[in-house]
Amino acid sequence: MTAATGALPRAAPLSALWRRRGVRKAATFYLLISPWILGFVFLSAIPLALAFLMSFTNYDGLNLDYVRLVGLDNYTRAFTDADAQHALGRTLVLMVAVVPTGLVVQLALALMLNQPIRLSPLFRTIFYLPYVIPVVAGAWVWKLFTDPTGGLLNALLGLITPDANIRWLVEYPTVVLALFTIWAGAGGGMVVFLAGLQGIPAEYREAAMIDGASGAQVTRYITLPLLTPVIFFNLVIGIIAALQILVQPMLLAPGIVGLGPGTVPPSDNYLYVVHGYITIFVHQLFGYGSALLWLLFLVVVALTFVLFKTSRRWVFYGVEP
Amino acid sequence: MTPRATRRQVLIGAGALAAAAAAAPILAACQPATQKTGGSGKVVVMTDPNEFSDDDRKTLEDATKLKIEVVKSDLTTLYAMWAAGNPPDIFRVQAAGLPQYISRKMVKSLQSYFANSKLLKPEDLAPANSFYRSDGKTVGKGDLYGMVKDWSPDFTLFAYTKAFADAGVTVPSDTTPLSYDELHALAKKVDRKQGGKRVYWGFVHSNNDQWIDRTAMNMLAEKNQNLYADDFSKLVISANPEALKVVRYLYDLAAEGLQQSPVDPSPNWMGADFNNGQIALLQYGYWFSAMAESDTTKGKTVMLPAPTWAGVRRDPTMTATGWVISSQTKDADAAWTVFEQYMGGKPAQDRAKSGWGVPGLRSLYAQMPQDTAFQKQVQKVLQGELPKSDFVLQFNPYIGEQTFSTSWTKNLEPALKGQIGFDKFVQNIESEVNTAIADGKRIIGG
Amino acid sequence: MTLAVRPRAPGRGVALALRYGPLLVAATAFTLPLFWVVVTSLKKQSEYNASPVVIVPPSPQWVNYELAVELADFARFAFNSIVLSSTYAVLVVLTSALVGFGFARHRAPGRDRLFAVVLATLMVPSLVQFVPQFVLFARLGLTNTYWPWVLWGLGGSPFAIFLFRQFFSSFPRELDDAAEVDGAGPLRIFSRIYLPNSGPAIAATAIFMFLWVWGDYLYPTLLLGVNNTTLAVRMANAYVDPRGNPLQTVTMAGVVLYVLPLVAFFAFAQRFIVRGIVTTGIKG
Repeated sequence: MTAATGALPRAAPLSALWRRRGVRKAATFYLLISPWILGFVFLSAIPLALAFLMSFTNYDGLNLDYVRLVGLDNYTRAFTDADAQHALGRTLVLMVAVVPTGLVVQLALALMLNQPIRLSPLFRTIFYLPYVIPVVAGAWVWKLFTDPTGGLLNALLGLITPDANIRWLVEYPTVVLALFTIWAGAGGGMVVFLAGLQGIPAEYREAAMIDGASGAQVTRYITLPLLTPVIFFNLVIGIIAALQILVQPMLLAPGIVGLGPGTVPPSDNYLYVVHGYITIFVHQLFGYGSALLWLLFLVVVALTFVLFKTSRRWVFYGVEP
Repeated sequence: MTPRATRRQVLIGAGALAAAAAAAPILAACQPATQKTGGSGKVVVMTDPNEFSDDDRKTLEDATKLKIEVVKSDLTTLYAMWAAGNPPDIFRVQAAGLPQYISRKMVKSLQSYFANSKLLKPEDLAPANSFYRSDGKTVGKGDLYGMVKDWSPDFTLFAYTKAFADAGVTVPSDTTPLSYDELHALAKKVDRKQGGKRVYWGFVHSNNDQWIDRTAMNMLAEKNQNLYADDFSKLVISANPEALKVVRYLYDLAAEGLQQSPVDPSPNWMGADFNNGQIALLQYGYWFSAMAESDTTKGKTVMLPAPTWAGVRRDPTMTATGWVISSQTKDADAAWTVFEQYMGGKPAQDRAKSGWGVPGLRSLYAQMPQDTAFQKQVQKVLQGELPKSDFVLQFNPYIGEQTFSTSWTKNLEPALKGQIGFDKFVQNIESEVNTAIADGKRIIGG
Repeated sequence: MTLAVRPRAPGRGVALALRYGPLLVAATAFTLPLFWVVVTSLKKQSEYNASPVVIVPPSPQWVNYELAVELADFARFAFNSIVLSSTYAVLVVLTSALVGFGFARHRAPGRDRLFAVVLATLMVPSLVQFVPQFVLFARLGLTNTYWPWVLWGLGGSPFAIFLFRQFFSSFPRELDDAAEVDGAGPLRIFSRIYLPNSGPAIAATAIFMFLWVWGDYLYPTLLLGVNNTTLAVRMANAYVDPRGNPLQTVTMAGVVLYVLPLVAFFAFAQRFIVRGIVTTGIKG
């Protein structure tokens, strides 16, 4: 099949159109992504549209009899909401703490496990397990683990500095939240990195070694650059996830583990989506809550956009997609 | 750079809205087959499975010849079902949430059903059912909208005698009520820490602050006052010296480390902590007596009468958990049949015998357990409390159940850490709750 | 996966320490909370938060494991979870790989904009869609069924599409060109070249997608009923004593049981992820 170039005859039968490579490629593309298009139109678009519409109303979650459109009121309200601003600040702080550290941890683990190691399945499992444990259970574990009275953490610290007795969840709630998030998320990112490392042809590394490069140099000049698409993936996913954290701070709030209304994280852990959740389910402001969440969406889009634009500089695709 | 993104948003939004507009007729046509008109023979009940076992369901199905579908009680699911236009026929509520449902016309008046019922006679109803009466403006009188499944005078105390023994303090008598001030002093004496670790909390109450507004309201009601203005348009604390006193009292309990708080939390709820022998004085209703005796606390637990704030004893329930029938039910008669059996039939008798609450019907009072010494002691105190229980708390119809307590907890943490002062603490709560009230009023057009 | 046996010269000790040292430190740090899970699962309720800290329970309560199985009707709900998770995982991986392939390798007008939409859906906070999703499925009569997950599987997952697109982007284009010259169409290129070489990505994605459903609490609570719900939901509510007190010890036992089949599955799936880790003569 030779690529047909050049102008089409004036009466262009379909077959001639098909022979044009550009059209064929376009049709192929749309055919290939058709499952997603169908899924999006029928399953996502409608809930998204409703959710978007909701943000322009005064819907409060109870019955629909009193729903009215309120224009942009919900959006302008967000800018005078001190709690929302505080929450956004705390969320950004957490993101800055958790995402880079998490990436480094995940990458380091993957690099370590990519070497010939005895018992590597065992290590892999250890690092992956926290990812598998359900969030509610994980929160219980960390609550008990950091409990000042009966927790293992203080017991171990007590061996070094007796009577330290730090009340972790009270005095350093964000530290606990960050550690919990990194611990629980490491396995996921690690697996993606491992998959990426597997995708790097061994010949590249071998060729470099033959030329006399050390292990570290191989990693730095061959492995990492070839891994940048995957690093980029984990970075974007990490940021999107970090900005949306809801469940973990609620579960780590003082008192019993639960997601019911009435649970309020300490102000250091009062994250943005937590504020959205409380606005919706406690204050019964679905309309305003949706607007808050759509604003977050804009923040995420903006950040991702910036990431994509700057990615040209450092992400090396090998071949342009 | 961002304008390009915004244009994308608009495109996505517009496209999605267009899709929705196109799809709406399709969705409307796809009504699920279950939306039958009356007589479908099925009743959807949203309740807590702990209060409605599978056996209960079978008993009711046999008694009513109807099919019962149980949905677990969950606020998100309830909202979602209302939004989808198909709310449950019967759902579980607590007193604090009911005024709002009434003002939003989401629940059906059951007055005529009660008037004609053989099982649920209005004269036989326990005092707590007043919470389910409303004339549209005030709770406590008017039509009946539902019923309690069981209830307790909720302001009684449970004492762990070992904590008292360890402090060398005598346990208060179970016939003479304490004042809240005496309670405060007592709690300070029995509160105990050792080497920075908690041994006993002095006085834990309000279901870990989830019901803090109810406690405050009951105290204020002794002086015929409420946390809210008479028309419920505002929360009034700083402008009301008595309210300020009450709030200060409750705040001090937390500040002095007598109550569990965000800076002195337990990983468990207060009931479990009492069972583990970590609380000296606990404020819960009669229902707690069914579980108060654990291996640790057996033989060392005593129930005490409710304390008083201003000398006027009031001991109503503050939860009044019960059932209502939704205004959009498609078969009210069927729903009532199930309701009636649950509230007056065999399940009600089983509940009475279990000792987990005072029955909703006076005629069932005699079925409460009185076998063990502890149960006898509890009944003795209960008999003294029942005459003081015929009161209601006036909850605000414009806001949800947790608005006040969430605001309290949220501001308590920085206050106890010294980041904001007590005045700011009160101010924040007032402003947050008043905003919520204003929102609620605006929605109804009030 | 064998280690090449090579004579250990002196000075290898340093290299060995470098290789295993950080690994052991990391493993210990990660294991501590896990260790605490296992220890707590063997304690009595009165011990779980006792002071001084109980590190080795004097009488291990294996009965907690029995309770974990009984109270949650473990086998039945685990079966539900497995059915739901695997159905979704299989469907979503296939469609997402196909779609990711489309985005990675085929130029067309509007491609980049559409990919932006894919990413955008990933960025919408899921909370905002809860009630609308319920309304959608309720109107379609699909609540209390597993259909939502089947449909979501058939539509692909933005996360997986993104992952496959990145992954496929790094394939050398020469392979495509060569195959095209040989007369292969896109589907054949996909199935003969891309899929077979994507073992690690497929395995990783399948595991992610499986786990997303396995561990999801919010959507099953919303869309499923008490009897056909998943293990995650069931476990969150089942471990209470007759009085309604939560049983932390039994919950921890439940966690161990919950995680075990996944550990087994993961150990098995390792073959595919690590296929290709053969010593290639790399020193150090």
